[in-house]
Amino acid sequence: MNESNTTTKTYRLSRRKFLAASSAIALAAACGPAATPGASGTASAAATAAATPGKPLKIGQLLPFTKVYAELGNSMKRATDLYLKQKGGSLANRPVTVIYEDEANDPTVGAQKTQKFIEQDNVDFMMGIVATPIAYAVRNALDSAKMIFIETNAGGNALTRTTTDCKPACKSKYIFRASFSSWQISNPIGTYFATKKGVKEAFTFVADYGFGTESAADFTNAFTAAGGKVTGALKAPLGSSDFLPFVTQLKAQPTKDIYSFFSGTDAINYIKAWNQLGMPAAGYKMNGAGFLTEQDVLKEVKDQANGAVTSLFWAVTLDNAENKAFVDAYQKEYSLLPDVFAVQAWDGMQAVDQALQAVKGDTANKDAFIAALEGVKFKSPRGDFSFDKDTHNVIQDIYIRQVAVQSGAAVNTIVDKIAGVTDPGK
Amino acid sequence: MRRLGYVAGALVAVAALITFPVWTSGWESSRYATTILRDMLVLAIFALSLDLLVGVAGMPSLGHAAFFGGGAYAAAIASQRLGNDDLAIGLAAALLVAALLALAIGIFAVRATGIFFLMLTLAFAQMVFAIAFQATDLTGGSNGLAGVHRPTFAGLDFNAPDALFQLAGCVFVVTLLLLWRVRTSTYGRALVGLRENERRMRALGYDTLRLRLSAFVFSGSLAGIAGALSAYALRFVSTNDVGVPRSIEAFVSVLIGGTGTLLGPAIGAVVVLYLERVLPSAIPFAETVLGIVFIVFVVAARQGIVGLARAVWSGQMASRRRAARATR
Amino acid sequence: MQQALNGISFGALLFILAAGLSLIFGMMDVVNLAHGAFYMLGAYVALTVVQRTGSFWPALIIAPVAVGLLGLLIEPLLLRRLRGRHLDQVLLTIGLSLVIVDLIGLFWGREIRSIPLPAGLDHSVTVMGGDYPVYRLFVIAFGIVLAVAFSLIHRSTRMGALIRAGVDDAPMLAALGVDIDRLFASTFAVGAALAALAGVVAAPVFGVFPGMDVDALIYSLIVVVVGGLGTLSGAVVGAGLIGPADTFGKVLFPQFALALIFALLALVLLLRPTGLLGRVRIAR
Repeated sequence: MNESNTTTKTYRLSRRKFLAASSAIALAAACGPAATPGASGTASAAATAAATPGKPLKIGQLLPFTKVYAELGNSMKRATDLYLKQKGGSLANRPVTVIYEDEANDPTVGAQKTQKFIEQDNVDFMMGIVATPIAYAVRNALDSAKMIFIETNAGGNALTRTTTDCKPACKSKYIFRASFSSWQISNPIGTYFATKKGVKEAFTFVADYGFGTESAADFTNAFTAAGGKVTGALKAPLGSSDFLPFVTQLKAQPTKDIYSFFSGTDAINYIKAWNQLGMPAAGYKMNGAGFLTEQDVLKEVKDQANGAVTSLFWAVTLDNAENKAFVDAYQKEYSLLPDVFAVQAWDGMQAVDQALQAVKGDTANKDAFIAALEGVKFKSPRGDFSFDKDTHNVIQDIYIRQVAVQSGAAVNTIVDKIAGVTDPGK
Repeated sequence: MRRLGYVAGALVAVAALITFPVWTSGWESSRYATTILRDMLVLAIFALSLDLLVGVAGMPSLGHAAFFGGGAYAAAIASQRLGNDDLAIGLAAALLVAALLALAIGIFAVRATGIFFLMLTLAFAQMVFAIAFQATDLTGGSNGLAGVHRPTFAGLDFNAPDALFQLAGCVFVVTLLLLWRVRTSTYGRALVGLRENERRMRALGYDTLRLRLSAFVFSGSLAGIAGALSAYALRFVSTNDVGVPRSIEAFVSVLIGGTGTLLGPAIGAVVVLYLERVLPSAIPFAETVLGIVFIVFVVAARQGIVGLARAVWSGQMASRRRAARATR
Repeated sequence: MQQALNGISFGALLFILAAGLSLIFGMMDVVNLAHGAFYMLGAYVALTVVQRTGSFWPALIIAPVAVGLLGLLIEPLLLRRLRGRHLDQVLLTIGLSLVIVDLIGLFWGREIRSIPLPAGLDHSVTVMGGDYPVYRLFVIAFGIVLAVAFSLIHRSTRMGALIRAGVDDAPMLAALGVDIDRLFASTFAVGAALAALAGVVAAPVFGVFPGMDVDALIYSLIVVVVGGLGTLSGAVVGAGLIGPADTFGKVLFPQFALALIFALLALVLLLRPTGLLGRVRIAR
């Protein structure tokens, strides 16, 4: 008995040490969130030397920093930080603190971080959300908490529409969208194809999830309404690793114009498979919603997407003063070309900035701030920017773009423009 | 005497838990703390249900989220389709759907053991996930089901966040009591027998297959209740609620807290949720920290937190006894 | 048909991926849920190698060696004490994969990357009336070569005999004086290296991005369990079944594409509870 006591004693002692060490770490970390609410990410608070600064402004940004959409979150954070840097860290004379939280591609996490913004950080307003399911999930929480929210990516149509029973979501007076609705990037191109481009038949091939099916539906409606015919539809599960089986099927059918919606890794793999199976040589044409050939995709596939025609509200080659300034500033700061997600975040900040100026920084009066946001109107890197007063979705120009290689980099060149596209709201 | 002390202590703890929002209302960000604690309670109930399978009956399952999510969808869809927000209806729907799912899956899965059982549960759960993802008309598909109403019950409205927290707290306490009774009952002992030596149980005349199936269905139904609570608390259900990561979350909570113990899974749930959701706001690389915590636990605290606590406690008792003996 | 080739090339990829897991599972009785993380690490290392050297081929050696060394470190330090304790292995390897994946994000960033097809293999040839990418044919060939090489080692060398004996009865092997610790450590390292190799081979096709470990892990688990644990032929059979099934499933039943593989797994396990070629383990 005695021997086991001595041996177990030393054993337990080292266990105690572990316990003590780990509780010390946990305690140190636990003191973190409560004591320093701005500890995550960069707190870009800097009081300007000019006039006496107003009360600090807290913005909550919910973006993905882990999992599959992490690149988008990083891009949008870069744009946000750059904007604030250019403004000296203040908007409407209020020093700004941005609190970034990770949505981790999980609506449960997104909902919880939204609660944190509302209940713990007491942010003045919220921005961000990349994944549509997360936006849908927190819509009601935002609405009941009267938290003003500027959506800077998620394009699910329902977020800014009137729907029956508010399913899967519906517009809210507190929610604005500075990015796009999937209708805006899928419908006009449908009409354009049938009319201006004279395409008679098309085949749709999209990712099998909310965004993909919405895009295919909107394109099909517009295309058929304008006299075209959709000869078939194919869907690939989201996150498919292997696109060869699908492109093989595409090649086995006669319609040459394929309309697609994919983004990120799916788009990259799709474009690679497209080339490997010799689709361009066989006369097939790749078309789609803009994310199919956005910069994050093009930087990896390079010239393999040449000739693809897509519709989006921006392209890095867009020739206007604001875009040139934006691209130059972004490149200078980060040595990277910006992508559309950066533009969305940038415009979100611009809208917020203008509205704040209009109300002289008073975010306490929510109705006035909302009215100011509704009245926002400026020239953004994408062209003219304003919100629809009814749906709070952005009104913007849609460009028809074509992929080409310029100065060694694959980019989208502007081929045509459809001005002032407004989401129908129903 | 000590018995009375334990009971009194337990009562105080329960009361403190349920009235948490009240006595913390003075804290800054108490509202958020309540929300977090509520989510911890939901995960705790989920983990407790899984432990019945993993810890007590010795059937490690990686597909438990199928029942959690199934219950969540059931409660949400029931209240929407029937237009009735009654809590009883929601919970009944969740219980029914989860139990049926567990039965359907269990009939096939319990024939296997060990790693094969693990894989089968994973496979079936992924099938449920696929259905949830594809059946857009029923489940909202990849966009999930938002706009779930808070339940009502006998005139009480659970819309206030505190009310739902207290509901979760009560269900948690009831679950603990239920599992405590089960573990000390003959049925519970039979499950432990399953874990320790199934062959002997069979030799003793137990229908082990039926025993396993009953454990599977029981634990699945409990997970369904947790799912319903989650649907009410978050007011939406997403496909993430039936996915593998959710199953792993519960699995890991059970392991860290201590398998086969009563409070272990609950404590594990608190730790895991804290590390997963609260810590990332304060430090970067919280995932690395999470991973390291897992590794440290396996290496240093095999029996989980409860085991560690027990070791420390009995160490103290032993040294106290030795001191008493020495002074005699 | 071209789809058949697609299925076979996917199957070849799955084989390379699953072979390592089958080895670790079958021989060491270790549940290794960090297999996907090793796969991911291999792909990212290959990314750096391609960036630095401009060539794909060195990556085929460097990545597996690097990850294999990591495995050599992990086994004695962390896994050795967990012999036979499956639940603990699950928790440990989950923790390991979280750390590895997060550190990958720290080191390499979280953007979506890809590796271009290696020069020489980046064109397509006409096969049965249609174009088919040469690289996919290379993958098939590579898989076959690997399978043949392994089966030779397995059957005709001392190492292979030791492995076969270890799968059958490890304690007995230890009793016979074989240094089990060293054997297991090297087996784990080889398993990890194989996962990394699969990552390198797959990278030009599937891309390199955060979250790639999850799918890899799930697919490799399915292949290993379907094929039967511990036997190399099990991995071949499993991959040979799952690869084409997945491909044809996507083509023929797009509605159920997600669920089809799992339904297949469930079906196989129900009919043959230890996998198609699995053998009943001697109870310890």
